[in-house]
Amino acid sequence: MELFALEHKRLWRTPRVWICVLLCFAYSVIWGTLFQYQWLGFGTQHDTTDPYDFSFDGYSNIRGFQEQFSQFGDEWTDETFQKMVAAYQSYDIYEKPGLQSMGDWIVAYSFLDRLYPELEDAENQKYQPLILYADTSKITDFYQRRADLLEFTLEVTKQNEGLTDADKQMLLDMNSQIEEPWPYEWTQGWANLPFNWSKLAPYLAIALAFLFSGEWHNSTAPMLHTTKYGWRKLARVKVLSGLAFALEFYVLIAGSKILLQLIYFGTSGWDLPIQYISLLAVAPWNMLQAELYELAFGLIGVVGYAGLVMLMSSLVKNNVLALVFSLAFVYVPDVLERYLPKWLMAVSQYLPLVGNSRDIYGYNIFHIFGLSVWSPWMMITVPLLIGIACIPFAIRFWSRRQRA
Amino acid sequence: MELSIDRLTKHYGHKIAVDRVSAVLSPGVYGLLGANGAGKTTLMRMLCAILEPTSGEVRLNGKEVSAMGEAYRNVLGYLPQDFGYYPSYTAAEFLCYIAALKGIPRQAAQKRVKQLLATLELTAVANRKIKTFSGGMKQRVGIAQALLNDPYVLILDEPTAGLDPKERVRLRNLLSEYAGDKIVILSTHIVSDVEAIADEVFVMNAGQFIAHGTVPSLAAQVRGKVWELTVPREQARSWQEDFTVANYRHEGDQVVLRIISEYMPSAEAHICEPILDDAYLYYFGAKEA
Repeated sequence: MELFALEHKRLWRTPRVWICVLLCFAYSVIWGTLFQYQWLGFGTQHDTTDPYDFSFDGYSNIRGFQEQFSQFGDEWTDETFQKMVAAYQSYDIYEKPGLQSMGDWIVAYSFLDRLYPELEDAENQKYQPLILYADTSKITDFYQRRADLLEFTLEVTKQNEGLTDADKQMLLDMNSQIEEPWPYEWTQGWANLPFNWSKLAPYLAIALAFLFSGEWHNSTAPMLHTTKYGWRKLARVKVLSGLAFALEFYVLIAGSKILLQLIYFGTSGWDLPIQYISLLAVAPWNMLQAELYELAFGLIGVVGYAGLVMLMSSLVKNNVLALVFSLAFVYVPDVLERYLPKWLMAVSQYLPLVGNSRDIYGYNIFHIFGLSVWSPWMMITVPLLIGIACIPFAIRFWSRRQRA
Repeated sequence: MELSIDRLTKHYGHKIAVDRVSAVLSPGVYGLLGANGAGKTTLMRMLCAILEPTSGEVRLNGKEVSAMGEAYRNVLGYLPQDFGYYPSYTAAEFLCYIAALKGIPRQAAQKRVKQLLATLELTAVANRKIKTFSGGMKQRVGIAQALLNDPYVLILDEPTAGLDPKERVRLRNLLSEYAGDKIVILSTHIVSDVEAIADEVFVMNAGQFIAHGTVPSLAAQVRGKVWELTVPREQARSWQEDFTVANYRHEGDQVVLRIISEYMPSAEAHICEPILDDAYLYYFGAKEA
């Protein structure tokens, strides 16, 4: 335990590590979250041609929108939809450009566009979006139209992407569990929460890639090997401290984001269905469940990636190579997207921090030993298994290097 | 306590780094003397069980050291030739960290660290980062870490590298005092280091022990082969080309040469009492040494 505490302290005390943590905190939490909520995301926009011409008033705007959109009732019905479209038609959106991003414009706009294409007027369409001229009296049968579109989409997916009848039925069964009518509140708060966890990869790689290889770089490896506990216990302690660091790093970033989320959005909107984010999603989940999945996905990605990075660190004696190989796992699939076979690209999505949690809005189903598994479950299982599998190899490879 | 080395061999491909080396070491200070590339470091790494021998074995009290594992490492202290450290650590923190790796309980470790810092005259800089230390200070930290667990087998690879003359004398005294009932092996190519403290010296060349014995006995091996000759300064170069010259000293317009030679180099030469330096040069020749 004492050795673990010392190794863990040593890791955190390395300037490279805490600089990485600070940079990541500044980028993800201060810039990516606080500034987005208070300034670029929800601040009042003045000049639409200037991407930074926002006031620093996000907090009061968010409170205002939560209040303003409560007038549409607490359920999503045809009447709610009609009232909202009518409200948008009565606003001068060119005078209040912020409505487009902060209000539920996106929801109403995309729902209308996808479910009521017949309302489009070729003449009007040239000048303004459908939401601004649609005949509100014709916005009816929302849930039936969604069900029809979902049925059609699944049929197309079945024909084009090999979905079986059983898969389609499984997805429809999931969809049938979504309670209707959907609860409604201002959606744009919680709908804004998804985070791209792959952004943590470079920071984690820089912090952990030198864990084993750094001992060669510092020329400490021969000395460490001759200590009583030698490489084996030290390797275990290093792996544990690496994992502990990954967890702490994750808690710091995710925890700060959750804290800011609670401060800015409160709990209002947690029980809204994720279909406000993706209309044809079949998962019967609310925003809170989606966020918990997102957090689990991030946690597993971080732990899995930490395992991969430590393996790379143990495989090579050179710090730079360890870092390059670690980063390659995340960025090479992206860079080579056009050149890799489709199956390889699909497989690469299951590497830690490579894929994303958006599969919860999709229809991918895997057949494993006769079981049909919805892809989001794979997305949080495979990266963890990869990370765990890397750990004994990391210990083993480092020990081999030590005796070479 | 007995450390026995039995036909220890290490090959790197076709290159033989250590070639069937055997010795039996009981408590005392052993000097391993050899030119760079003689195989000293490879041998020491095998003695520490860091490096697997191609053949042969090292035994401590009859037990094969690599099989002893933790039990061997518990009684081993090692200073590698290229001693590494963590730049952001202070001397005290670094020693405490190594003490934890050596399984020394925290309180005992703190006491031992304090004691070693004092012994190696590092107390005043105990809380300074090692990266700010001079080469000699870093080397002393390296020696301190090797001594942390009060090892029965202490292996020091080039321990005097980077030390100034005062520090070297202090280290010699420390090792002499430490040896007592322990086995201390130090490798160097600085003859005076082993001459001062080694009970026995192994001379290594091309991976083999080419001579071993006490300092006087090794020196005695070249008795009758060490000469002193005074020559005019302008002739000094030609003498150096023809003979192994151990020393070259100016005396007015003359030069006094100390020559290692199987035969009397000149009628004017007179024989000298040999020292270990002479034996070293006898085995290696001036250029190789």
